[in-house]
Amino acid sequence: MSKVSGKKYPPVETTLDPVHVRAFALAVGADPDAGVPPTYAAVYALFSTAVQLYGDPEAAVDFRHLLHSEQEFSWTRHPEAGETVVASGRVEEDVERRNLRFLTYVTDVDTRDGPLCRSRMVNVIRG
Amino acid sequence: MKELHPYTWEVTREQIASYADASGDRNPIHLDEAAARAAGLPGIIAHGMLGMAQLANFVVGWAGDHRRLRLLRCRFSAMMLPGDLITFSGRVTGEREGLLQLELEAQNQKGERVLTKGLAEVAAS
Repeated sequence: MSKVSGKKYPPVETTLDPVHVRAFALAVGADPDAGVPPTYAAVYALFSTAVQLYGDPEAAVDFRHLLHSEQEFSWTRHPEAGETVVASGRVEEDVERRNLRFLTYVTDVDTRDGPLCRSRMVNVIRG
Repeated sequence: MKELHPYTWEVTREQIASYADASGDRNPIHLDEAAARAAGLPGIIAHGMLGMAQLANFVVGWAGDHRRLRLLRCRFSAMMLPGDLITFSGRVTGEREGLLQLELEAQNQKGERVLTKGLAEVAAS
């Protein structure tokens, strides 16, 4: 099965709200005065684009049997609060092995000044 | 190889709930005992990404500035439950193209590895 290998989703624009960034920093136990915590990428890269995949009838992701198995973020640079970023998600791989579906989703995050961050998420879905 | 000073983090319901609000991931398996059990879990579990946020805190605490962090990766190998004590450990294994390479992992109080294949790349200062 490779239902949606290669499928791309429309870009999503997000402005990093300083109040929200601060609340996130406090929630994870990071220094709220140090700027945007690295894993705030879960919000500006991952969450905004993963909902496109999970809501796509063609992808037919069974959310109840989904595990977030692996995550990688790589940064060209880190954003600052108040910046606007554009996140574009695509399915890198959608394969089945031993009755498990492995779905690799890559999100590239750019700004007007160039690339910012790449997220690579592996989901495992029980068949 | 230079070992980082280990760091222990306690998983609490309050922090899981705060993370659900702050991240927008309000999947009931993180918030509702009955929903978590219905999904075949022992009870509510922490978001993997909350654990990864602690991994980032661990590396940033060592590096001093999060802007030096260029890559962070891990595998979510086991559930993290309220009351668990998660200990993060890591070591610098080398340097490649100006980036320090760090191996990372996290274990719970029973010695089960909850985050594995952890890797960070940190710009050499």
